[in-house]
Amino acid sequence: MNKAKKRIDFLCYLGLGFGSLMVLIPIIYLASTSFKSISEIMTSGRVTLFPQKFSTEAYHNIITEYPFFTYLKNSVIVSGSATLIAVLFSTLAGYGFSRFRFKGKGAIMMFILVTQMFPAVMLFVPYYKLLTIYGMVNTRRGITLVHVASVIPFCSWMMYGFFNSISRELDEAARIDGCGHIKIFLQIITPLTLPGLVSTTIYAFIQSWNEYMFSMLCITADKMKTLPVVIGQMASYDKIAWNDLMAASLVSSLPVVILFIFLQRYFISSMTQGAVKG
Amino acid sequence: MNKIKSRMTAWGFVTPAVITLALLLLYPFFYGIYISFFKTNLVNKWTFVGLKNYVNVLTDEDFLNSMKITVIFTVGVVAGHFLFGFLFALMLNRDIKGKTIFRAILLLPWLFPEVVVANLWRWIFSPTLGFLNSALVSAGILDESISWLGSPKLALPVLIFICVWKGYPLVMIQLLAGLQTVSSDIIEAARIDGATNWQVFWNVTIPSMKSTVSVTLILDVVWWFKHVTMIWLLTQGGPNGATNTISIDIYKRAFEFFNFGPSSALAVIVFAICIVISILQRRMLRDE
Repeated sequence: MNKAKKRIDFLCYLGLGFGSLMVLIPIIYLASTSFKSISEIMTSGRVTLFPQKFSTEAYHNIITEYPFFTYLKNSVIVSGSATLIAVLFSTLAGYGFSRFRFKGKGAIMMFILVTQMFPAVMLFVPYYKLLTIYGMVNTRRGITLVHVASVIPFCSWMMYGFFNSISRELDEAARIDGCGHIKIFLQIITPLTLPGLVSTTIYAFIQSWNEYMFSMLCITADKMKTLPVVIGQMASYDKIAWNDLMAASLVSSLPVVILFIFLQRYFISSMTQGAVKG
Repeated sequence: MNKIKSRMTAWGFVTPAVITLALLLLYPFFYGIYISFFKTNLVNKWTFVGLKNYVNVLTDEDFLNSMKITVIFTVGVVAGHFLFGFLFALMLNRDIKGKTIFRAILLLPWLFPEVVVANLWRWIFSPTLGFLNSALVSAGILDESISWLGSPKLALPVLIFICVWKGYPLVMIQLLAGLQTVSSDIIEAARIDGATNWQVFWNVTIPSMKSTVSVTLILDVVWWFKHVTMIWLLTQGGPNGATNTISIDIYKRAFEFFNFGPSSALAVIVFAICIVISILQRRMLRDE
């Protein structure tokens, strides 16, 4: 028995180790490319995993040749506000769906699921038209709204699951003690879903921070671009400066990775409480 | 009185989300359907053509071909996600040392933006300056560099590989969540009754994960069936249409050829297909 367990453990390490290598090697290559000089990259011949000569040329380039901090600021503002609005609305909606019965509830929840079937391509044209009508093309406000709309369905569904996992007897007890709906929601139930709330926030932030297609189509003015849009643009030149591209990629991926490392404990624990269930 | 008050409060909670969705998803959605009945440039030319756009896109000789590519792409990507997602979830569900570190590493691809992942792999697979070709050639496995994404035969498999790499973590984490809700009491009981590891796995673990698997599967299939970003960034449907999925077709019709009517008609068809797929999957997984 013990021997069999050890053998399975060994196989697990083998599998996990192999998986980790498959994930890490490309990411290491991303980082290492950003520290290579353009001349090293453009010489064909043997390509090495690590830079032959360490160079910060690419980082210098992205700061001096592009208004990089403006892009960073745009990304922060758009993702920050989109996340805030989406999480607020989804928390309210999740609580409403979980704790009340009302006419049209089934239909709305069905609709939320159906929105996941909308082809994004189908929404591009209407969005562009809508934003034009309201003068929000090339504004951070416009793209924020688009991001809010695209994450709310899944976030509401997540929050609905988290609220459902909290016993309704708590509500009953609080009601008997004379608490109103608002007080029960704010002071009793929501604090208990904190890990769930953190997960939903992480999800919304990652989606918004990384979103490319809608942002690319809705923003053409250089000073309004977000980081993914700029990376897409750098990759579309005829002669791609791969080291610059990878430097920009690394800088824009790091915030999410760092955020996640700090919060992953909440994320995993709340996901395992069974958030997304049918 | 109390009932009315409770209903008002309920609507108070859900209204902000509902209004946002109605304005920013429902309205654009119906607008998209509306466009599909017109020949239009979206500005000043609107000619009603009835179902002509639908007839045209469905009888287009490329329709069946891009449908076939879409199906191969979706099946390949989802199968990959579930294969690796499930294997890693099972391994991470065991009580082994270093579990948290492995879990964090294996989640990484999910955290990177699609535009970063697509370009990173484009760079690794690059025909002349790429790492992969250089490594394979110097190891003697290849005689000369291959244009991975530029070859009509290899482009689709390579694309599927990249999308598997990008997307398996979400499936993994959802399945891991499902695994951890499997009651350890039942597993213990089965063990006491003399069940082997395999029997426990097939007869206890798998059946109790049905609901998780069903939701994860439906979402994954639908998401990747209509996926655009990665494909557009990696191959733009090329070479020679080898990776031209329906979504790429929709995108090109709208933003390269400005045929908004037919593009929307095709999008409505994709939407209908997604609905049908999810209903069928639900039914199949429920009946078993």
